[in-house]
Amino acid sequence: MLSREFDFFAPSELGEALSVLRDSGDDAKVLAGGMSLMPMMNLGLVRPRVVLSLNHIDGLDYVREDGNSISFGALVRHYQVASHPTIRRFCPMLAEAAAHIGDVQVRHRGTAAGSIAHADPAADYLPVLIAYGATFTLRSSTGDRQITAEDFFVDFMTTALSPDELLVEISVPKESNVARSAYRKLARLEGSFAIVNAGAVIDRSTVRVAVGGVGGRPILIEQPWEIGGSEGSVVAQIGQLVYEATKGVVGEDADYKRSVARTFSERALRAALTKAS
Amino acid sequence: MELPINVTVNGTARKLRIDSRTTLVDLIREHLGLTGTHIGCTTGNCGACTVFLNGRTVKSCCVLAADVDGGEVTTIEVLSESGRELHPVQQAFVDHQGLQCGFCTPGMILSTLQLLAENPNPSEDEIRHGIVGNLCRCTGYQFIIDSIRAAAESVRGRPTEIAVRK
Repeated sequence: MLSREFDFFAPSELGEALSVLRDSGDDAKVLAGGMSLMPMMNLGLVRPRVVLSLNHIDGLDYVREDGNSISFGALVRHYQVASHPTIRRFCPMLAEAAAHIGDVQVRHRGTAAGSIAHADPAADYLPVLIAYGATFTLRSSTGDRQITAEDFFVDFMTTALSPDELLVEISVPKESNVARSAYRKLARLEGSFAIVNAGAVIDRSTVRVAVGGVGGRPILIEQPWEIGGSEGSVVAQIGQLVYEATKGVVGEDADYKRSVARTFSERALRAALTKAS
Repeated sequence: MELPINVTVNGTARKLRIDSRTTLVDLIREHLGLTGTHIGCTTGNCGACTVFLNGRTVKSCCVLAADVDGGEVTTIEVLSESGRELHPVQQAFVDHQGLQCGFCTPGMILSTLQLLAENPNPSEDEIRHGIVGNLCRCTGYQFIIDSIRAAAESVRGRPTEIAVRK
């Protein structure tokens, strides 16, 4: 049994959920998968007065093609991101990252939207979404707004979400037919949060590599590159740019982090380059 | 906050009144007396609390009981009512020494059922990945993996007794 009493709401309509959020302000925590919230509540690190479950709202678990993007809803669970044929086909790096999260049980319950809203800087999704240039739809009882992943992640577990808003949709541009991508992660144990992680996307004339675990939010490096250009030199360039961009990393392990951030950004990029397009 | 919930546990529909602070594992152990499901960490790491919720394995220490209203929960007890005749997966763990203290075992067995429902012929690597969410402090895992391999052979071609939704 958890320690502090709380009111629990599990509405069946999104509108009701938004009203609860509007009326509760900072007192409420949103519960979807609970794979971050529940351990924290069990440990007493978080003791909300209101818990608002989204788990009984129908229609939030869709995955669909939306022209040049793939859009999916707030209740899509990690195992679905990892295995959904539409995501695997059009945004394979996202499915690749989701397969690294936690373990079987965690992936059955945890949601992409929840992980994103929680914004642990070492989360598997973050660099992938930034490298892909994903956008999010945030909804309150007064309306919707769109925000890019880059703008959404502000700092360590801090996002652009207002207390009365829910992340209701994630939209990821489809890879073109010449695009290649890869996700690489350094972690002590399979499924742990990353020490560092990197998502690399190569498209027509750009390389984008995002690296997580090196500060409050992932860093993004973008370089022009023509298909057919020197692979060795773009990998080295990206590695160097990542190393320079992590100058501000602090802590006793800063040198180590900077070093592995460079290594894993290069590995992700090399892995993407070696994929058949 | 007290609230009523309706939940089907091991095939039986239950109506209960619970405090919102009750986790699913509390419900299972304290309210229903089904103590085969264990609590090892309360942080979703060890998997000793693994149960099936709506057809998929979850860590019940990290689910609120109030949130399973209308749902279906299946615990380890469903495999053997008497405890005398064991389910083939349980028997495989006995035959291959897949347990010592037994604390992780119910979770390991339910994760085995989840794995075999989706992959009836798993490789050793796939078996290892299938139990990443279940920690064991006694065995060093190898005999657990052997047990799961044997269980796979034993149940292959037979319908699994727990319906797992895809």
